[in-house]
Amino acid sequence: MNLPLLAVRNVMRNRFRTTLTICGVAVAVLCFVLLRTVVYSWTVAVDQAASDRIGTRHKITFIMPLPRRYIDEIRSVPGVTAATWMNWFGGKDPKNERDFFATIAVDSRSFLTVYDEIVVPPEDLERWYQDRKGALVGDALAKKKGWKVGDRITLVGTIFPGEWEFHISGIYTATRKSVDRSTLWFHWDYLNESLPERLRDTLGWVVSRVSDPARTAEISKAIDARFEDRDVQTLSMSERALNLSFMGMLSAVLTAVDIVSVVILVIMMLILGNTIAMGVRERTAEYGVLRAIGFWPRHLAAFVLGEGMITGLLGGALGLLLSYPIVEQGLGRWVEENMGALFPYFRVPWPTAALALTLALVLGVVASLIPAWRAARLDVITALRRMD
Amino acid sequence: MAAPQGHLSPAEGAYRSEPQVRAIARLRGVRKVFQRGAERITVLDGLDLEVPDGSFEALMGPSGSGKTTLLNLIAGLDRPTAGTIEVAGANLTDMTDGELARWRARTIGFIFQSYNLMPVLTALENVELPLLLTKLPAAERRKRARTALRVVGLEHRLHHFPRQLSGGQEQRVAIARALVSDPQIIVADEPTGDLDRHSADEILDLLERLNKEFRKTILMVTHDPHAAERATIIRRLDKGALT
Repeated sequence: MNLPLLAVRNVMRNRFRTTLTICGVAVAVLCFVLLRTVVYSWTVAVDQAASDRIGTRHKITFIMPLPRRYIDEIRSVPGVTAATWMNWFGGKDPKNERDFFATIAVDSRSFLTVYDEIVVPPEDLERWYQDRKGALVGDALAKKKGWKVGDRITLVGTIFPGEWEFHISGIYTATRKSVDRSTLWFHWDYLNESLPERLRDTLGWVVSRVSDPARTAEISKAIDARFEDRDVQTLSMSERALNLSFMGMLSAVLTAVDIVSVVILVIMMLILGNTIAMGVRERTAEYGVLRAIGFWPRHLAAFVLGEGMITGLLGGALGLLLSYPIVEQGLGRWVEENMGALFPYFRVPWPTAALALTLALVLGVVASLIPAWRAARLDVITALRRMD
Repeated sequence: MAAPQGHLSPAEGAYRSEPQVRAIARLRGVRKVFQRGAERITVLDGLDLEVPDGSFEALMGPSGSGKTTLLNLIAGLDRPTAGTIEVAGANLTDMTDGELARWRARTIGFIFQSYNLMPVLTALENVELPLLLTKLPAAERRKRARTALRVVGLEHRLHHFPRQLSGGQEQRVAIARALVSDPQIIVADEPTGDLDRHSADEILDLLERLNKEFRKTILMVTHDPHAAERATIIRRLDKGALT
């Protein structure tokens, strides 16, 4: 027997209450992990952005297009090694129009040179290049929709009206977490050729690769300088900055999620503190006996802090154990398949798991500070009187 | 007992017949006043007392007479408002709280009316508890705890939890806990108060044995005249004064 064992035994004294408390902490940790994973997943596009890519869009807004001829001028800017372009298509599955996934028209000749983190089997790629109506779909989207190579599908255009037929040429995966694996990529030529004359030859945005990631700011300025005196001016920035500017629109939501995750932990701490305080009150007489037989106030404080720490740790560990199957396997899969554009990689990051466990432990200790202080300050005589 | 045997040797039990008996506790002009709201209650008023070493004393008196307060003062649990208390060669009035805690662990064994064992610990672990404050290795602590439980006749209940023991057995575990660190003095506050007559007699037999065979000085607060009869000295307190 030793002093830590006594603290452990005290934790398990009222098993029902302890179990409920541990479950309460576990649920709080689970919610914390879930919310932090939402924030992480949302920001993963920024964190994982390629450092050698520059995005160029219309200076006024995303939704205004650029003239096609700009691509050649951008490619000629010193430092730009490759450039591709794409247009947001906005297609929907007529069988389930509420089922959102990104549909983007890309220049198939240059697309995979710029986005080399996208992995397509060579035979699929060859098939795509050969088929004007061919499309590449992410593995998450293919799994969700039950699509396989060779399938013919029809989408309804929301920006470009009408029914559009596509052939599934291949299924892509990605080597980088920021890639949305629930997107459908198809030939820009197919879109362009299908449009009325007045709508043709416009680009949604251009993405360039540069030779030196350290020069992205300089090259961005050089690109924009090219079009400074044109009717359509551009705004270029690194992929990270581009993603950040998009994220900026959601910053209030992310801040709210951050605040809620902290509030959850505070609530957890109050619940834990209350339970520990209750236990200390019930054991006042025992603490009196311990003090009588020679234990010091710091021993009693250590017992109480130890209880808080153990309860916090057990709750944290249980919360994490639950969060992996619930957040990562269950919810995460669903989110990646259904909301891949917003949450391309919905997995519990290990720093979040470590933070949750550490916070559960630390908050367990913090929650027991006041009960520990009270236990240490117990007057022996008063405590012993509580025996009867 | 595996503990230092100085105070446990049955062979030394005959000392009480010697004419010169030193006092193990000496109280001079002890006054204890409690403040309860605006009211000041004087529980002990200028009390003088000498407790002979190796004696078995019973403190009797009506409720509120100051018995437990006196016991707490001698055991170093409380401090007097005025006067001096010297116990086992130490002046308790000069000690800090930390020094008092260390002194109690070495010098005093406590027995309470409600036994007050830790419900989450076995009999053996409860008895081992005071030894956790020493530097003894775990094996030695365990050995001494077993010995103490053997002394009180519970060697067959080592791994039972308090809820698995009878009241008398629980009190015997509490006595073993009081005994395990080989204290000079055992203070017992109504040790038979919660027990039936048969169990009470067993506990009193045990206390008598500790006093006679192991030379422990025993100070026992009791309302029970039957229990007090076992003591070698009976003192009566009334309104804070010895009568």
